[in-house]
Amino acid sequence: MIETGIPKLDKFLGGGIPRGKSLVYYSQPGVEGEIFGLQTVYGTLKTGGTCVFVVSSTIPDIVKGQFDEFGWDISSFKDKLFFVDSYNPLIGAPSNEKYVVSNPDKIEDFHKTIMDIIKELPPSTIVFGSLSTIMDLCGEKETIEAVRTWNKMAMLYDHTIVYNFTAWPYSDETLNLIKGDLFNSIISIGGIAERVIFGQYFGIMKSDWAEVSRKSMLFRVLRPGGIKIFIPKILVTGPFDAGKSTFVHALSTRAISVDRLGTTVAMDHGHVEYKGFSADIFGTPGQERFDPIIKLLSGESMGVFLIVDSTNPSDFIRAKHMLDITKSYGLPYVVVANKQDLPGALTPEEIREQFHLPEDIPIVRAVAKDKIGVYEAFEVLLDRVTGGI
Amino acid sequence: MSDTIEMVDKLLTDLKKVGGVIACAAASRDGLLIRAIMQKEQIVESLAAMSATMLGAAETATTHVEMGIPTRVIVESDHGKLIVVGAGPKALLILLTSPDVGLGLILLELDKSAKKLKEILT
Repeated sequence: MIETGIPKLDKFLGGGIPRGKSLVYYSQPGVEGEIFGLQTVYGTLKTGGTCVFVVSSTIPDIVKGQFDEFGWDISSFKDKLFFVDSYNPLIGAPSNEKYVVSNPDKIEDFHKTIMDIIKELPPSTIVFGSLSTIMDLCGEKETIEAVRTWNKMAMLYDHTIVYNFTAWPYSDETLNLIKGDLFNSIISIGGIAERVIFGQYFGIMKSDWAEVSRKSMLFRVLRPGGIKIFIPKILVTGPFDAGKSTFVHALSTRAISVDRLGTTVAMDHGHVEYKGFSADIFGTPGQERFDPIIKLLSGESMGVFLIVDSTNPSDFIRAKHMLDITKSYGLPYVVVANKQDLPGALTPEEIREQFHLPEDIPIVRAVAKDKIGVYEAFEVLLDRVTGGI
Repeated sequence: MSDTIEMVDKLLTDLKKVGGVIACAAASRDGLLIRAIMQKEQIVESLAAMSATMLGAAETATTHVEMGIPTRVIVESDHGKLIVVGAGPKALLILLTSPDVGLGLILLELDKSAKKLKEILT
């Protein structure tokens, strides 16, 4: 099993890609699909594997620079990472790489180099930087035939073989083969412009070793950082003085608030980078006179933190009402039982009882001012937002 | 998807060219950033959220006193101006200008862009 290093994808795939299997990152044109292959290379190296990267659309030195851009230091993996240069020969430039495809527009030459690598190297991860480029140079049918053989050979020699593919307008026959039985697994990568959320997503279209979940994940690409699961909006709400702003600040990598006279009058806004996730957090005011603003800001949320003051059960009715105002019913939510350090704080069980909360709604104990419980709450909510796989 | 983004980018690029404009951004009414042309990228998301709050608060305030929907929100400081206008029911436009610039042409162009953005997003 090798890890792709892409958050959530490894989990979806049941741990990663098993040896001997093939996988294609099938991208729509215009989305940042090629990073998936790159991150898989780094994922393999980081877990001690050997990796081959077939460079087709630029010179290997630029690809090495891309690793740097993402903050992935590959210099310590010199004897574990090999590049196949199929670009320099194309422009007539000399190559410094160990493996070179002398005529990148002839599939026979490609075939020979790849076959040599498959036979020569110990079980490795072979990543093709751009299958589409090879196809453009060598022809669709010819390339597909070669890929079929490479996949079988990889299976025999226990390599993991991974392709980046951009779905340019090739013939239907070609695209159907690629989306069909040519590969053991297909990860589809696309873009959406739904309502006002502009973003990129990935999802598993097919996998013959893991159960396929139909769920897609929004992602963004950070430099440095690579692919991060992106959650555009998480709402933090709750009654007056429950500690919402404190919670937003405790959780966020950076955050701002509009506070006047000790209370939030407009909103809190924070940004979280945590364990492969990138999320924006919106904190609402708690006092009733600001309710119109809450309604304005709560649209498009993907999940909700409901913060309550554990020492103040009389506010629980207001807390429930706030779920209502934010139209949060139906969204995944987590109740954060704040101020657990104060005398008289109720336990989560007592809160559940007094609040009449269903058994399946998680309640997390927290002391937001000391950052206790905030990341636990975040993980619980992420699990709910992303389907808990 | 890439088409819509391209159109929004084109609109913002054009708006940015107007004299005195330092930065501009499109955001949703509920405070999510759509696209921006701005130097300090980290603050853009917060700015989008805050601008949506300001416009929303202004609309709520004026509606309550039966003044109708405000045309725009202009915030002036010694170091520049911040203008927020609604662009249809889903989106809004945010503009930052240098402090000493006259607003006539800018507001004209901003209103035009807002109408275009509304069209793009429907």
